[in-house]
Amino acid sequence: MSYAVGDALPPFTIESVSPEAMQQWAVFLADPNPIHLDVEVVKAKGLGDRVINQGPANVAYMMNMLMRAFPGGRIKAMDSRFLDNVYGGDRATVTGTVAAIDGNSISCAFTLDVEGRGTVNSGTATIEV
Amino acid sequence: MSDLDTLPPAPDAAGISLDGTRVFTISAEENAALCRSTGIEPASDGTAHPIYYYVATQVAMGKTVAGVCEACEFDVDDGPMMGSSGVKFDAPLMVGTSYKVTGEILSLIRKRSRKLGVMDVLTYRLRLHLLDGTQVLETDNVWVLPRKEFAA
Repeated sequence: MSYAVGDALPPFTIESVSPEAMQQWAVFLADPNPIHLDVEVVKAKGLGDRVINQGPANVAYMMNMLMRAFPGGRIKAMDSRFLDNVYGGDRATVTGTVAAIDGNSISCAFTLDVEGRGTVNSGTATIEV
Repeated sequence: MSDLDTLPPAPDAAGISLDGTRVFTISAEENAALCRSTGIEPASDGTAHPIYYYVATQVAMGKTVAGVCEACEFDVDDGPMMGSSGVKFDAPLMVGTSYKVTGEILSLIRKRSRKLGVMDVLTYRLRLHLLDGTQVLETDNVWVLPRKEFAA
């Protein structure tokens, strides 16, 4: 796949962020924070009325967009900013563009957006192709 | 005089070691489950999902999430929030490979924000190594620790 600076990358979408996956991530991360597992805790803390996705899972969605856009490529560096929560049931889409190309190194900028609420994560990455 | 001058300083946490003592091995079974939980199939070339940069370093660092908060004199039940995360890979992460973690808290800085009020901004650095010591990645994570006890 060949890109030029300014090109849009193919989006990656999670149709519905899964509360069951959050239970898996609590195990992956060895972090049983109840805001990811128990909607009553989320309500009691005034954080909303749905369980909150783990931040690293959101980063994984952004990595998935990059890996799909650059088959065989390798993420060399990546920075992510957490701007808002992703909730169970959200439709989340990663979109990005090519910011720079230097030989085999491609720099990208991207965001994770949730339907109805806008950007919840943003980031940049360098991919070696 | 800044209004922060009227607050006690953030705890002196910089330099606290986060070196791990346990070995983290990325299992094929867990990697497959993690990949599928994010909407993709696991790679067929033996590489693990790169998000293991975060998973492996968090699980195998020398403190739990609650322990890191405690080192900052912060109760994990008060809700630490991720601010940012950065990583630089020296090599891909591989299924079936074992890793160990070194790291430390870089800084804990007290700030005031319009949205969150008084908060401490924690920055810590973790490195993932092969068991022979070869570094495979370095990650800097920033957490926001809202200090509700200083709410106006």
